Amino acid sequence: MADNIEAIQKSIKWYLIIGGILILASGATVWLSYVELPTHSLNILVGMILATIKATLVALIFMHLNHERSMIYKILLFTVVLAVVLFALFIFSHEDPLVFSGFYAPVEQQ
Amino acid sequence: MDIPYTVHARPDTGLYNAKIGIWLFLASEVMLFGGLFSAYIFLRVGADYPWPVHDLDVTLGFINTVVLIASSVTVVMAWAMLKLRKFGWYRINMAITVICAGLFMYNKSLEYRAKFAHYAVKLTDGTMLTGHLPHGYQVKFEGATEFNLSVPLKTSAVSADPIGHVLPFIEGTAPKFKTEDGQEITLDEASFKALSAEAVKKAVAAKKGTASIKLIATTPIKFAVKPSEIFAYTDTTITFRDGTTVTGKLTDDKMTLEVDGVDARGVAQSDKSLAFDHRYLGEAWQKAFVENRDHHITKFEKDYPTRDKTRSATLQKESLFFKLNSAEPPAAGAAHGDAHGAEAHAPAGGHGEAHAHHPTVVLEKKDFTFFSNFTPKLNTYYAIYFTLTGLHGLHVIAGALVLLYFLAFDGKRLRQDPEHLANRVEVGGLFWHFVDLVWIFLFPLLYLL
Amino acid sequence: MSAAATTHDHAHDHSHDDHAHGHHEQSFIWKYVFSTDHKTIGLQYGLTGLIFLLFGFFLMLLMRWSIAYPGIPVPAVEVIRHLPLIGDLFEQMFGRWLNADGSLNGELYNMLGAMHGTVMVFFGIVPLGFAAFGNFVMPLQIGTIDMAFPRLNMMSYWFFFISCVLMMYSFFVGTGPVQTGWTMYSPLASTTNIGVTSIWSHGHMWWLMAMVFNISASLLGSVNFIATIINLRTKGMAWMKMPFFCWAMFVTAFLLLLAFPPLEVAAILQLSDRVFGSSFYLPTGLMEGGKHLDISGGGSPLLYQHLFWFLAHPEVYVLILPAFAILTDIIPCNARRPLWGYKSMVYSVLTLGFLSFLVWAHHMYLTGMGTMMSTYFQITTVLISVPSVVLLTCLMVSLWGGSIRFNTQMLFASAFLPMFGIGGLTGLPLAFSFIDLAMHDTYYVIGHFHYVVAPGTIFALFAGVYHWFPKFTGRFMNDKLGKLHFWPSLIGMNLVFAPMFVQGMAGFHRRWYDGGKYFENTSGMSHWTTSLTHNVGAFFGLDIPDNMLSLNIVMSVGAFILALGQVPFIINFWFSIKGGKKATSDNPWDATTMEWATPTPPPHGNFLFDPVAHRGPYEYSVPGHTTDFYPQWESEPGKPDLKAIAEKAQAHH
Repeated sequence: MADNIEAIQKSIKWYLIIGGILILASGATVWLSYVELPTHSLNILVGMILATIKATLVALIFMHLNHERSMIYKILLFTVVLAVVLFALFIFSHEDPLVFSGFYAPVEQQ
Repeated sequence: MDIPYTVHARPDTGLYNAKIGIWLFLASEVMLFGGLFSAYIFLRVGADYPWPVHDLDVTLGFINTVVLIASSVTVVMAWAMLKLRKFGWYRINMAITVICAGLFMYNKSLEYRAKFAHYAVKLTDGTMLTGHLPHGYQVKFEGATEFNLSVPLKTSAVSADPIGHVLPFIEGTAPKFKTEDGQEITLDEASFKALSAEAVKKAVAAKKGTASIKLIATTPIKFAVKPSEIFAYTDTTITFRDGTTVTGKLTDDKMTLEVDGVDARGVAQSDKSLAFDHRYLGEAWQKAFVENRDHHITKFEKDYPTRDKTRSATLQKESLFFKLNSAEPPAAGAAHGDAHGAEAHAPAGGHGEAHAHHPTVVLEKKDFTFFSNFTPKLNTYYAIYFTLTGLHGLHVIAGALVLLYFLAFDGKRLRQDPEHLANRVEVGGLFWHFVDLVWIFLFPLLYLL
Repeated sequence: MSAAATTHDHAHDHSHDDHAHGHHEQSFIWKYVFSTDHKTIGLQYGLTGLIFLLFGFFLMLLMRWSIAYPGIPVPAVEVIRHLPLIGDLFEQMFGRWLNADGSLNGELYNMLGAMHGTVMVFFGIVPLGFAAFGNFVMPLQIGTIDMAFPRLNMMSYWFFFISCVLMMYSFFVGTGPVQTGWTMYSPLASTTNIGVTSIWSHGHMWWLMAMVFNISASLLGSVNFIATIINLRTKGMAWMKMPFFCWAMFVTAFLLLLAFPPLEVAAILQLSDRVFGSSFYLPTGLMEGGKHLDISGGGSPLLYQHLFWFLAHPEVYVLILPAFAILTDIIPCNARRPLWGYKSMVYSVLTLGFLSFLVWAHHMYLTGMGTMMSTYFQITTVLISVPSVVLLTCLMVSLWGGSIRFNTQMLFASAFLPMFGIGGLTGLPLAFSFIDLAMHDTYYVIGHFHYVVAPGTIFALFAGVYHWFPKFTGRFMNDKLGKLHFWPSLIGMNLVFAPMFVQGMAGFHRRWYDGGKYFENTSGMSHWTTSLTHNVGAFFGLDIPDNMLSLNIVMSVGAFILALGQVPFIINFWFSIKGGKKATSDNPWDATTMEWATPTPPPHGNFLFDPVAHRGPYEYSVPGHTTDFYPQWESEPGKPDLKAIAEKAQAHH
């Protein structure tokens, strides 16, 4: 898909389809969050995977990252790597990663 | 001598300036929200209380998600229509985008308002009571006569300021005061300045570190203050935020609360929670609570026989966070209707008729340690919730304003240089998609998981 | 050697054609105040930065007095108080906090310390190094007419200006400026003066708001820098023909762009803690004054430190990279040798930029964040020293075999090399958590980073001022006064910072307002440096005790020498604008980079011809060439591109 007239005409259909998919995926996220998976961490994992897929669709189709110039990719790659580093180190700094026990530990009840 | 590449792309990079600019800006925005999301992770991993799940109004959140996705579609459509030079369709799509932004913010305001009117009180044993304060909460004093003010000799951040920190809380008009040397004065800026100047002079002469002023009210005074407006109080004194102490008699520091929820997750023996003391909700509610709890535990055991009960946050919440939906305890067997009850389901107006459906308790001060409405003060979850959604809301407003500008005030460019306007719309649209993208993560993290 | 002799009229013709920046011609205000021209904005940043450097230095002098002579009234304080205007200002900003006898106390010392750090880092060096030199020189070096977004550029300066005003205003509010160090560690920063109800009389509130504007300004600036370098390089200016200056600015801009947002987050969360009573940084059960605070708890002070240092470590490289940038122009030019290892420098600076994001928690070894984290950050910290050493080595080797011109800028530049070396090498031990246990928050750390920033970056900035002054104004700065500036500065800097290593290893803590007097009986050890001080003092008839405290006096004397040393600079700077020796040509230093191809001072639009980069930026002493330099813009030996000039002139008339 380039930015010429025919390509844009063709992509209009795709914009609507992707919009529909996004709304359906949001509904699925809501539904899945009420499903009692074996641990709540799994619920979080599933929810985040769905959200990432949705975000990827927005970035690729709406933000045209499926056909962007290499310079933009370089900038974004650098940024994303740093953001991931930020997340990872924040998680690890809370507990020693060697004994990391999961995302959520509910209060123990007697 | 114009700046090159404002409209058309530079051949070797294939980009026009604004596009590089917006992507760089978005990169920095990624780090901004990245920082906030990592703060979220950090707070959640380190939370020492049950992290609220499904506590917000999921329906409203889902509607907002749909609205934002729709606006994302329309803004990219607007750009495509502009590229195809279909100006009418461009305007329609752009207008829908801006309207969606307005709708989003309206929903947000509904959500926020419900939070501000709703309170939570933490009892000494760890029980959290949620509900409404029909009269607000004030500490009341009467018979206050003696005022002690202290003025430091050197400039200091905290210095006696009775005009700003004491007088506003007097019920009725302020009486006259007697100074130590028997003079009768009305306390205002001028007289206080004179008083403190004299006191400072005396203190310097006596080589003391601070000057103190003592005032006696000619008639006893009544005070009514919010606890946050003063520094501390005992049965016989109030210390105001400026350090002034006033002696008097405490008449009332009880809190009247219309309870709509009992959260016993922080209590060792949930059915012995202080909330079920005979002075408060009493035995009948206790019975309803236990029935509800056991019902959910049995159900969980039936549905998931192999799982560890103590590891399920959902079960903890359903069994121990008990919703009160009527003024009187329900009959046996009817206590567990609300499976996914959320506190946000309270009416948005705050003081609607619905309150008649909740029991009222009068809490003694010694029984609760902390209270707040559902604002950032309540806990780190609401703190990060308000920060994230507030900042996101600001981005929505900013983005909508930019798009509105293109729609309403860029008509000349539309006629003369549509290619340039298409670039601008693309850039504005990229920002708008980013706002949508953030919401895609915010919605599950705050509302669902 | 100039591209073309320019006249004032010529410059004027140019600006007339300018439709992009409508009002430019109309009045003084649009031309010099709300200017969109990158050169004017650069000068605005530069002057503001210099003023703040001076102000931050003054704060430091007050602190040094208190450290060396605790409990003794500040000299001339009564005189200052009675001066018209200045007396009132002094009274409002500092005087009202002084003890009755005019000596400093801990409260005021803390304010001075916090503001010294803030002012120097965010209002002095970054605006001067990155914003001023970057704005002025970078577009010229890549041969473009202006930045990619001139209006954003102007907004960037004015956001910065607002942040300056807000920061200065914090001196005048009820609680005075912040007292919690430039790092603003919570929970202290979230709870100090919590009794004061009005948020507007908190110095802290003003600090946070000022930082929000400062961060926005940096953001706009860095977006502009990167977009300009990517998209506006002139014909022939390939990435690897770009002067290293532009590379360093490019990386610096990326650091600002990506590291500042987490600080903004930190500031927003702290603001929320103060204004809305949230507990982002406040742990459960926090008490103050024996009383539980009315907070929910559940937050973590560690969160603040992570967010803060995620910015603040890259910030260190934001401070130092512009210094390297300036030196890579000055050293080859004055050594008349090409820059040694240009490519390795470029790759090093890119590596440095990336790694600088991965080392932040070496400031946090003492927070108990876990052994695995410590190990990880020790490794990355040691790794990052490699590209730094490459940069420094390349600069040093560039001197090899050169016939060096020791003019003032070269003196500063050559002093930079050993000074930065000391700063860098003393940092290596601090990379290890077990040594950091002893060294943390001592004067050793202060000595280390001041060697990097003060005789390091600031010397480079001075060198830059002397180097580009002829381009700014068309006149040279006086060389004799310059040398009078250089030598006292060098001596003063070393007298101030070298004893800090000794004191730091003796365990002196950085936040003692009395400089350790309180511990005189227990830390009264002596050392050869203190004996030397004692003996030198005795030679002049002074009774300086032979213990660690004597070094405080040495440092304060050093600071005083440093202060005196700046007087020639200030005189030189202001008098040379109108009275300096006129620059003989547009390229007075016989340099090779493109900024010297413009008329002096460069008009709006910069170049009189379309510059084309024909070769690399450091072609000095090319064998077989007629002169010892071969500028980037010359199409054939010794001739400017006359045809292009003629065409350009034609197009304008």
